[in-house]
This record gives sequence, structure tokens and C-alpha cells, in this order.
Amino acid sequence: MVQEAAVGADGKPRIAGAMPVTLKINKKQYSIEVDPRTSLLDCIRENLAITGTKKGCDHGQCGACTVIVNGRRINSCLSLALMHDGDEVTTVEGLGDPDHMHPLQDAFVECDAYQCGYCTSGQLMSAAALLTEQCGHSDDDVREAMSGNICRCGAYANIVSAIQQVRSKS
Amino acid sequence: MSDNKDSNPKQKQSADHKQSTNQKSSTDQKPPANQQPAQTAVLEPKRTSVGHETRRIDGPLKVTGKAVYTSDHNFPGMVYAVPVGATIANGKVTKIDAAEAEKMPGVHAIYHRTNIGQLFRVAPDSTFTAYTDEPRPPLEDDIIRYYGQYVALAVADTFEQAKAAADAVKVTYQEEKPNVSPKLTADDKVKVESHRGDAQKAFDSAAIKLDETYTTASQTHNVIELHATVAVFDGTKFTMYETTQGVVNHKNVLVQVLGVDPENLQVISKFLGSGFGSKITPWSHCALAGAAARKLNRPVKLVVSRKMSFHAVGHRPRTQQRVRLSAQPDGKLTSIQHDYFNHTSMLDDYKENCGECTSYLYSTPNLRITSALSRRNVGTPTSMRGPGAVPGLFATESAMDELAIKLKMDPVKLRIINEPTIDEGLNLPFASRHLIGCYKQGADLFGWDQRDPRIGSMKKNGLTLGWGTAGASWIAERFPAEVAIQLNNDGTARVSSATQDIGTGTYTVFAQVVGDKLGIPIEKVEVVLGDTSLPAGPLSGGSMGIASIIPATTKAIEKAVDTLLTAAVQSPLTKFSGAKKTELALTNGNVHRKDQPSKEGVPFETVMQQVNLNKISGKASSPGTFSGKKQSSMHSYGVHFVEVTWQEELARLRVSRVVTVIDAGKIMNPKTGRNQIEGAIVMGLGMALFEGTEYEPTKGAPINSSLADYILPVNADMPKMDVHFLEVPNTELNEYGARGIGEIGLAGLAPALANAVHHATGIRVRNLPIRIEDLMGEST
Ligand code: FES
Ligand code: FES
Repeated sequence: MVQEAAVGADGKPRIAGAMPVTLKINKKQYSIEVDPRTSLLDCIRENLAITGTKKGCDHGQCGACTVIVNGRRINSCLSLALMHDGDEVTTVEGLGDPDHMHPLQDAFVECDAYQCGYCTSGQLMSAAALLTEQCGHSDDDVREAMSGNICRCGAYANIVSAIQQVRSKS
Repeated sequence: MSDNKDSNPKQKQSADHKQSTNQKSSTDQKPPANQQPAQTAVLEPKRTSVGHETRRIDGPLKVTGKAVYTSDHNFPGMVYAVPVGATIANGKVTKIDAAEAEKMPGVHAIYHRTNIGQLFRVAPDSTFTAYTDEPRPPLEDDIIRYYGQYVALAVADTFEQAKAAADAVKVTYQEEKPNVSPKLTADDKVKVESHRGDAQKAFDSAAIKLDETYTTASQTHNVIELHATVAVFDGTKFTMYETTQGVVNHKNVLVQVLGVDPENLQVISKFLGSGFGSKITPWSHCALAGAAARKLNRPVKLVVSRKMSFHAVGHRPRTQQRVRLSAQPDGKLTSIQHDYFNHTSMLDDYKENCGECTSYLYSTPNLRITSALSRRNVGTPTSMRGPGAVPGLFATESAMDELAIKLKMDPVKLRIINEPTIDEGLNLPFASRHLIGCYKQGADLFGWDQRDPRIGSMKKNGLTLGWGTAGASWIAERFPAEVAIQLNNDGTARVSSATQDIGTGTYTVFAQVVGDKLGIPIEKVEVVLGDTSLPAGPLSGGSMGIASIIPATTKAIEKAVDTLLTAAVQSPLTKFSGAKKTELALTNGNVHRKDQPSKEGVPFETVMQQVNLNKISGKASSPGTFSGKKQSSMHSYGVHFVEVTWQEELARLRVSRVVTVIDAGKIMNPKTGRNQIEGAIVMGLGMALFEGTEYEPTKGAPINSSLADYILPVNADMPKMDVHFLEVPNTELNEYGARGIGEIGLAGLAPALANAVHHATGIRVRNLPIRIEDLMGEST
């Protein structure tokens, strides 16, 4: 196969076979070209350098990459970027920033609902979606609904406390 | 030796939870004279967050995606590297055909043994300053000793291109049958780790004895942050962004492997997605990324995939442990024998030191502990949270439970009867040991006195309950550490050290210590870690980070404060002009005369402004505790009480309740401390019930190498947890009396759970993890 022109107009290497896609991430629109094999997760992290969303397995098994697409939480590693043309994507950066934290973010800090923080973006996005989902009131209901997000540090009890704290206030 | 102090632990604990200006009142020994507060003339409450529930200072960054982890780094011109792993576990590479891969779009290079350039071995090291568990550099020869061993590296513009190219590299092997057998026998000489008396003779002549073998499965750390390296090379110097629990050690290893001078390699790790031991030493991918960056003169990002992390970045090896106990009818142990094997990789002598606690946990005149290694075609093992002690205690604490049943004795009582007065292994007094205090408080909180010892006799809501307990211990030591402090003329302080926060809360505890010593709020303390350009700090391992940094930090602060007071008295522009330095003190952020309260003084920043000083620095180091003759035996202790529920008709086992009491000295931040212990309980539940890396016998591959097939505990598995600290500070290690808490919480959990399972089901499971199949057989 012939190598294509190495560099595109943006100074970045031109990707052979790349296709255009428009994503709305945290209310900002991005029109880019991506390799059709690129997952939504890698597109966000590597192509757009929005790195709050994490990769823990790349196989839909850990939940670290959870983002909200059109109101639903998904594992962004299990979905190709090109499948999301025109979609509204919310990542952890879209919830709040250090000076204006979302109530869930503040509750996570207050309840120490993390240790290393690596699963945290995914936990928060799952929790943010859970707030809008049909979910029972008990801790057990929350545990069940949060069981797609693995925390190897084992901060589960505090994660449930943080979520329940926010739910009880809203 | 000082358990009389445990007589009323509850009271002690609640006293410790209050603001404590007299925190030394419940220490095990009097503080040395030089640790008495210097400014005693006016006693006033000190502003401090030490010992108080404190939010993490890096929390807002972690919850907003602003904390930058290794693989979050992106640089202009950066390329992606994906390793090619061997698809055999034993044999030789005979040919690598990269022709097709090299021609694929975006590919910069396919590296293998003949074109990567020379990579070097790491010289032997026993001080954990330039240490690696896998000294063979990647691609050193064509011999394959474990499945997945790196044989090539594809580098391309994008991750997708690099992955496709790596998949297109054709490797031909000469394959031999691998040995991944779980049955362990000694390959080399058996090593006697500790002995006293004549254990075999005592065992042979005893009326009551137990002789059982226990095994623990290979475990993969499976930290959620994948191991990664982003290597930047500027033609001379490397900047390596690494996932590491020890930036300094990491650097000292990589300069050897890459063959560069120390000033030309910097390691940075600002945030780490935890390690649990898997990130203590550098692994082969770091050198591959560095070598590729040097060859291409471009930044290279290499993220180790989840599948590769089952063989490429360490694991807790399988253990097989024979335990022999003998006792008198009154429960007094007459002998302990603990003989253990662990598997290791073909080239590395990794020992899982299962006998770690055996020599001092109980009193017995006769004891013998031996270890041996079994070589297998597996990746290099490494430390995993509580190495040695954690699997070791599964065997010995299960055996103690079995012995208690033979003796028809309560298992807590058996522990109390065999409590030693000194460390009989080292023949030294205990610096601080409150194991019985932990048992007493835990039993009380759990309601242990309600336990009916008959198998399956306790019921609740139609379920059978099982109650079990086990004790735990872990080392308490210090690494050498160097810390720098800087007072700024805006009233803030900066503390820096080349150590790192792996998720344990080091950033916050550092700020708490500096805040405590200077008497300023922690919001005014900037903590800078994770960079080898800073003064050399300790590894985050062995639960020793916090204990290690405290002495150097307080010494550095003393130096800076001394400079501050010198400036205050020397300058004609401050109100202390002409006073004697010894008449002044810094309290609650104010410089003041010792005979006056601090509020009569002047904020330190005002003094600095008056003298026109921008910053005042202090740097200090403190030695480690490994060398030199020990005066006492220093460890942490803990006890777990576990309740399981068993539904026989569905073969459904759940863990419903855990009460844990930990004796680890002063808890600097109960908020993060309790979280760490709860996290360890979660991991213990995984170890006991779910986790085991399975090696497929024909190919030798870790076959369940994904998070779907290697089961980790999830939120729905959580029991109700009740964690307590028996805070009895011992100031031998540092002035706060803080020991580590990272590992102790995992120790003892698995045996307590297995003991509970036996109580519920009558089935003694001696091989971890406990599987449902095990519980569907006959009672044992
Ligand atoms: S990275 Fe997507 S679920 Fe693990
Ligand atoms: S906080 Fe470390 S994995 Fe959840």
C-alpha cells in the first residue's frame, strides 16, 4: 500500500482512510476526521485530548470510560466514534470544574468516594445518569445500578454514600 | 506487653477523635526530651487537621477529570507503540517477518531484537533504590519463557494503526511444552527462614495436632489504570511519564536499562491509578517506549493492554503451604511448622514470603519455617498488597481455626491463650502490640459472644449464618526520605519530595503535616510530588510512605523556621529586632515571643515582607529503618470478624457483615484511612471468593485474562463494613506515631471469611478462591 501524504492541514499526520464526524462534547462542537476503527473513547482521549474519561480495559468490562450520550450512559470503548455523528456527549469535564463542582463531584470529595481516582470519572458519569434513571431508593438498588463500574481501590461504600447524599437532597 | 492499655479501647478511641492537643497521652512510651514542644511557656490550642477527617486536597482535580495521569499526556508529533507478545510460553523465536506490517499506513517502525538497539540489565540491588523484579531487558534474546513475552513493537501515528501493525507481524516459533503446573515442588534448596526448639519432635509427641496444606491462587493486581509510559526524548534527555509507585527507583532502573547518565533522565508521575505493588518496579514496556522514542526522536505513548497486564506487569504468585500445629489440651501451642512454596518465573527468584508473620504471631517454644521456589513458564511475579503475609495468614489463620475446633475452644480464646509477651522470632520486645485489644473490641462490636459454634446452627431470615474471625499483622518500617520545604511571603508553604500519591492520600497527609507544624490551614500548603527533579523521596510500598516522610518533613520545617526566626531577630525592620532567636517561636502561623500567646505575634509572611524575603527554604533527610540493629519488634496488627450468609438450596454465599479493628498507631486522616481499610476488605473478599489467574496447561497462557473472566468484586458484592482504629501511637517510627495502613486491612480477611464459611457450611476450603463447587460437596 502507498503511504499517503504524511501531514494534514492541522499539522497532524493524515490518517489513511479517515472519515469525517461531528461530535458535540460538553456542548462544544468538534468536526474532525477519524480512522473508522477509532472508538469513541480513543477519539475523545487521543484525537481531541479531552482526557478526563479513562480507559481501564477497552472491552466494556470496567466502566472507567462511561460517558453520557444523548442522555444515556454508555461504555465509550465499546462504540465507534463514527457511530456518534451529531450526538451529544457529556464527559466528566462537562459535569463541573474544580471551582464549580456538580453536587455529585462535591459529594464524592466529601465522602472520599475514590482513592486513586482512576475509575472516578466513570463512576461519576454512571451516577449522573442514575440520577435520571428509574432506580429504587435503597442502598442496595444503588449498588446494583453502579455495579458496571469497577473500583479496584474498593471505595464502593463511599461511592454509594455520595450518590445517596445527592439523591436525598434532590 | 502493653495490652493493659487496651482495657478500655472505646474510651481511648473517642478521646482520640476529639481535637487532641494532648495526643501523646496515650502513647506506648514517653516522648524523648527533644520532642517536647519547644515553646512551652504559653500553652494554647494548636491549629491542626492531623487526626481529623480531612477532604483530599487533590479531590477536586480527581472528580473533574483535571488530574493528569500518565496516559493522559499528549505531545505534538507523538506516536503510539503497541507490543507484540509471544503466543507460546516456552521455546524460541525462529523468525520475525515484519515486511507487511512495516508497509501499513502510518507505521514508523517495527522493532525487534535486531533493530531496537542495545538494552541493558539492571545490576543486583537489595536496597530498593534501583530495583526491578524482572532484570532481563526486553528483546535480549530469542528465548521465550512465558506467554506474552514481548517479541516486537509496532510504532505508528495512531493507536489503531499501531495495533493493526502489531497484529500483522508474523512470528514463527519453535515451541516446547510449557510447565505451568499448579502442583508446586521445590526446584532448588529449601530455605529455613526461622526456627527455634525442635518443632518436629514436639509435633510427633503431641496429643492434639493438625497437619494441613493450603493453597492460594495466582492473583493479578488489575489496577484500573493500565500500566503506561509516555517517553519524550529531546536528543539528549529523556522525560519519562510513568505509572510508578516509586519515581526515584524507576529512574535509577531506567538509566541502567537505557544506558544513559542520571542527569539525562527524569521520571514524572503526578497521579497514579493505584498500583497495589504492580507499579513498584519498572517493567519491560518502559524500556521499549524509551528505546523507540530515542530511535524515532519523537514522543512515544505505550499503554499496556488489560490482556497483557496478566503476564507483563507482575502478579501475586500461587502459593502452597503446609501448616503443622500441635497443642496441649488447654490450647497452648507446643509447635508450629510452616513450609511453603510459591511459583516464580524461569529467570527470577521472586519469593512470596508466606512466613512473614508466623515467627512472632503466637507464642510457641518450637517452630520451623521454610520456603522454596517452583519455576514455571509464567511472567515475573511481584509484590501484591501485603506480599507474603496475606497468603501466609490465610494458611496459618485457617489452621488456627481448625485447631480451635479440634480443641472445642472458641477461636478468639485460642488466640488469647497463645499471645506472646515478646517477639519470639527476633527475641525482642514488641514496640507496640495490641492484637488482643483488637480482638476484644472487635468481638464486642460484632456480638461474637452470641456465636453458637455448632455448624449451620445460626439462622436469620431463612438464611444460615457463618461467623469467622482471623488476626493479621504487617511490618512497620521506614524508607530513607528527603523533603524540601519553602515558606512563601504570601503566607503559603510549599513542600516537595520525589515520592508519589498512589491513591492513598499522600498529597493530603503531607499538607496536614506541614499545616500542623506551621499552624496554617492546609489550603495554604502546596504539595509537589511525583518528579525525580525533586529531593529523593520514598517508594510508595510496604505501607511505609507516610511513616517515612514525616521525620524528614518535620526536620526540614524546623530548619526553615530557624531561618525565619534568625531573619526576624537580625533585621531592624521587625518588631523582634534584637531579640534572641530562642525567645521566639512560630505557632498557628505567627512568629511570637514564647512568653506571649501567638495572637500577640506577627504572621510569618508579614515578617518575610518586612525583611523583604521572597522565600525561605529548608531541606532535610531521614534514614530508613532497615539497616542497623533493631531494639524492638515493630508491626501493625488487626482483626476481622466476618459474617456470611449461606443459602444451601441455591448454593448462594454472600458476605453480609465485616467488623475490622486495626492497630496501626496514629491515623493521620481517618477519612482516607477508613477508606483504605474498607478497600482492603473489598480486595480480601475478591481474594477469598473470586480471584485467580488460570494458566491454560497446553499453551501456558493466562486464560482468563480479562475483567469479565477474572472476577473482581463490584459494588453489589459489598458487605456492611464497620472499621475501627485502636489508636495507640508509638513514636519510635515518627513523632506522630503513624504506621502504614495500606496493607494491614487485606491481611487476615480471607481466612476470617473461610472460617465463617466453615461455620455456616461445615466445609473447610483450603484452596483459594472458595468456589461454589467446593461448597456443594460433603461437610469436612
Ligand atoms: S474501558 Fe470501557 S469499560 Fe473498561
Ligand atoms: S478509585 Fe482507584 S479504582 Fe476506583
